[in-house]
Amino acid sequence: MSSIPVDAETKVGAAPDLAAAARAQDLAVRLDGVTKRFGNTVALNDAWLQVRRGEFLTLLGPSGCGKTTMLNLVAGFLFPDNGEVFIDGALVTDVPTYEREIGIVFQNYALFPHMTVASNVGYGLKARGVAQREIAERVTEILAMMKLAGLEDRKPGQLSGGQQQRVALARALVIRPKVLLLDEPFSALDKNLRSAMQIEVKEIQRKLGVTTIFVTHDQSEALSLSDRIAVVSEGKIRQIGTPQEIYRRPANRFIASFIGEVSVLRARLERIEKSEAVVQVGAASITVPAGPLAGQSPGITVDLFVRPEQLCLASGDVALEGQVATTVYQGDHVDLYIDAPAAASTRILMRLPSHDRVPGAGATIGLAIGGHDATAFPAVES
Amino acid sequence: MKTQRRPFFGLFATPGVLVALLFAGAMVMVLQFSVRLQIPGSLDVGGFTFRNFTAMLHPLYARVFLDTLWLCVLTAVFSLVLGYPLAYALVRSRRVAVKSAILIITVTPLFLGEVVRTYSWVVVLGNNGFINSLLLDFQVIAQPLRILFTLTGVTIVLVHVTLPVVTIMLAAAIAHIDTAYEKAAESLGARPVRVFFTVTLPLSGPGIVAGLATAFAWTFSAFATPQLIGGGKVNMISNLVYQLGFGNFNFPFAASLSVAGLALTFASIAVLRLALRPLEKVGP
Amino acid sequence: MAQPRSGRLLFWCGRLVVVAVLGFMILPAVVVGIAAFNAKALLSFPPQQLSLRWFVNVFTYEDFQVGFRNGLLVTVAASSIALVTGAAFAFVLDRYTFNAKRVVEGLLLAPLVVPHFTVGLGFLILAAQIDMSRGYGVVILAHVVLVLPFVLRSVQISLSNLNPKLELAAASLGARPGRVLLTVTAPLLLPGLFSGWLFAAILSFNEFTASLFVTSQQTQTLPVAMYNYVREYADPTMAALSVLYIVATATLLAVANRYLGLGKVLNVEHTR
Ligand SMILES: Nc1ncnc2c1ncn2[C@@H]1O[C@H](COP(=O)(O)OP(=O)(O)OP(=O)(O)O)[C@@H](O)[C@H]1O
Ligand SMILES: [Mg+2]
Repeated sequence: MSSIPVDAETKVGAAPDLAAAARAQDLAVRLDGVTKRFGNTVALNDAWLQVRRGEFLTLLGPSGCGKTTMLNLVAGFLFPDNGEVFIDGALVTDVPTYEREIGIVFQNYALFPHMTVASNVGYGLKARGVAQREIAERVTEILAMMKLAGLEDRKPGQLSGGQQQRVALARALVIRPKVLLLDEPFSALDKNLRSAMQIEVKEIQRKLGVTTIFVTHDQSEALSLSDRIAVVSEGKIRQIGTPQEIYRRPANRFIASFIGEVSVLRARLERIEKSEAVVQVGAASITVPAGPLAGQSPGITVDLFVRPEQLCLASGDVALEGQVATTVYQGDHVDLYIDAPAAASTRILMRLPSHDRVPGAGATIGLAIGGHDATAFPAVES
Repeated sequence: MKTQRRPFFGLFATPGVLVALLFAGAMVMVLQFSVRLQIPGSLDVGGFTFRNFTAMLHPLYARVFLDTLWLCVLTAVFSLVLGYPLAYALVRSRRVAVKSAILIITVTPLFLGEVVRTYSWVVVLGNNGFINSLLLDFQVIAQPLRILFTLTGVTIVLVHVTLPVVTIMLAAAIAHIDTAYEKAAESLGARPVRVFFTVTLPLSGPGIVAGLATAFAWTFSAFATPQLIGGGKVNMISNLVYQLGFGNFNFPFAASLSVAGLALTFASIAVLRLALRPLEKVGP
Repeated sequence: MAQPRSGRLLFWCGRLVVVAVLGFMILPAVVVGIAAFNAKALLSFPPQQLSLRWFVNVFTYEDFQVGFRNGLLVTVAASSIALVTGAAFAFVLDRYTFNAKRVVEGLLLAPLVVPHFTVGLGFLILAAQIDMSRGYGVVILAHVVLVLPFVLRSVQISLSNLNPKLELAAASLGARPGRVLLTVTAPLLLPGLFSGWLFAAILSFNEFTASLFVTSQQTQTLPVAMYNYVREYADPTMAALSVLYIVATATLLAVANRYLGLGKVLNVEHTR
């Protein structure tokens, strides 16, 4: 899958061709041109999304961009003003939540406080009229799988945060939902527990192969867990792709600066050859994807986005020279903030292993750009 | 298929709407009786008239209106002054037993009803009552004090009647004040007294206004207290309404007095709210 | 931590005031308690001789028996109707917007500020106008109107404390609205429903002013019977009845406090 922005992709997807129809078979969830307004706020603006069966897809974006709204539309807690929602190929736009066969885990879990763990987990099965014996069996099975055996008769108030989360997950999974929806499920947990739970959730998702839509505004969480990431901003999906694609080939300036840390350098466009472009920074020539620069003529100034780990100390053909403003010790590495007024209007961030000899503040250093993962965009007037 | 997005709406709303209509109907009846002629000796009424309202201007009735207003004001103020410390203690006390005790002592009278409470005060304040017996026994006084049938007596009992509800409303307001504000003030060097007057009291402003308004309305509604404690010497509008209705069978006049009383209550509460606007606006 | 002397003084003064106010609150109850056991018909302090004859009087006086039965009937009917009506309407107010929402809510809450004698007068006239006899019906309806605000408020508070995600979670698990209501919403509202009903029942049983207007000799409730008694007789029978009243009400409330947490119900618990 290439990293073309979704706007382009959906033009194809929206056309009634046979390939699209065939592909629809593999789609667990589809949002077609969905718009949702709250009064004057447009929470979602003509959003298109296709989630493949069995994948772990993350909706990533800043606060208020419409992630929760999108999830609520899939869940059936909200109904769109425009557009359609499909689950498993079936049109569900007007189908109420309780007929959608979904599982959801909320941020604070929303476990029924007046029911035991077993009743919480068995709730969905009971609502479906499953026989008592089968309910008991399936509840026991999922609780064992979630490492919750022995806690059946506790009330949610008597559980730790991690246990509550596992119960919420068990409750959502035991009904074998067509899609599992997770709205920032880890944000209430402390840091250590959070990483443990992330690994656990990812493993269970793999094992059960359940299609999962995960909402977060934490980019590192998104990068580490997802099969694909959909970057959302201002009610639209801006780019969809694997974590590598999103990180290495951001489709626009917003995504480049929203995901991972990045410094912006002034560069000059030298030439464009097919899918690659070459830009000049100081004495160095850097190859970048041509996509974002399409139609630009050589000689113009462009903004080059580089990640801190792409920068290294060098002498000779350096891309830029600068002065170390501050160093920040981070344990396994050291962050250096560099002033280079000739190459960048803001401070440049680079990263060195902490066992290396690190230049002190005030030192003048030369920097080179390594790898092929820098991206350039036409410069904007500031 | 369009989903039904308002489950239970009709079923759940109907009874409430019916009760609201019933109440509205009763109030409309009072309104329309207030502008009717009385047919002496009958529950039926005659034609349209404004005479009931002009009759109210008679000094005899004007006096009752003034007394009523004065009693409402006195009661509201005393309830506030006595209720605040109680409410503060109720919310801020750390010991559960103390909290429960205050709560039960405060709330029980709320549910006793006016008759039991007023009667109890007759026993306390009467000529042979508790206070007079005590004072006479210890020879503090030679003659029994006359408290019953006086404005003072009625005020004491009215305060006792409204104090619980005012306390509860103040306590609710105090309970919702974030103690972080008080801690912040303390950390800036303010002593307890200053913290109280510069932070706690202003932040409970909305509760104070609500408490005053409620005390006012409740006092206005009192009937058994002025009837039994006032004993005909101190009258409130409620007593007049009852007297006119069941004594003289002049229901139109009773209705017009009720309407005037209602208008007076609402006007007073509006004035109170307006005057205390700054208090109410305080807070986050 | 040592408090400055001024702080400690303030602390003790505050305590003294609180104790004094509490004393004022319970003084009549205590005095009535003493009077109720006095053997003589004339009130006197301290009582010369103790006796239970006034309590016997309470249970043998016919008007009190009739009043008690009537009161119980009216209370059970009115508080139950108010519970169903108020709880359902609180739910509607919490969930839906509709025309005249504020108007209906205002009308239902108005009896909190409209004097009871006005409500009583209104129902008296209404009953007379539609030729309804002054039976139990009008008494019950007047009581429903008067106690409904308490149920409404109590359930509203419970509803606002209810996490809406719980109902969404239930729906996502396949529960239809009816099932969500019965298995999630209702159980979680139960304390609010119960305390609302309890308040309504106690208030209805003790309601006096409006009842005085709408009851007849046949339908008079206990407070009306008590009022008539006080106007006719001066003996301590009423003191004995008051003691029973106070003890019963305080016990009920103490039990409610134990199991429901009155503080939470009355919204006076520290929330932050
Ligand atoms: N019920 C609502 N009423 C009014 N506006 C709403 C409502 N729900 C969401 N919005 C608005 O819609 C926009 C998108 O909200 P949404 O909750 O989807 O954001 P989000 O991406 O989940 O943000 P966050 O990361 O903070 O949770 C916001 O501007 C929000 O204020
Ligand atoms: Mg959100």
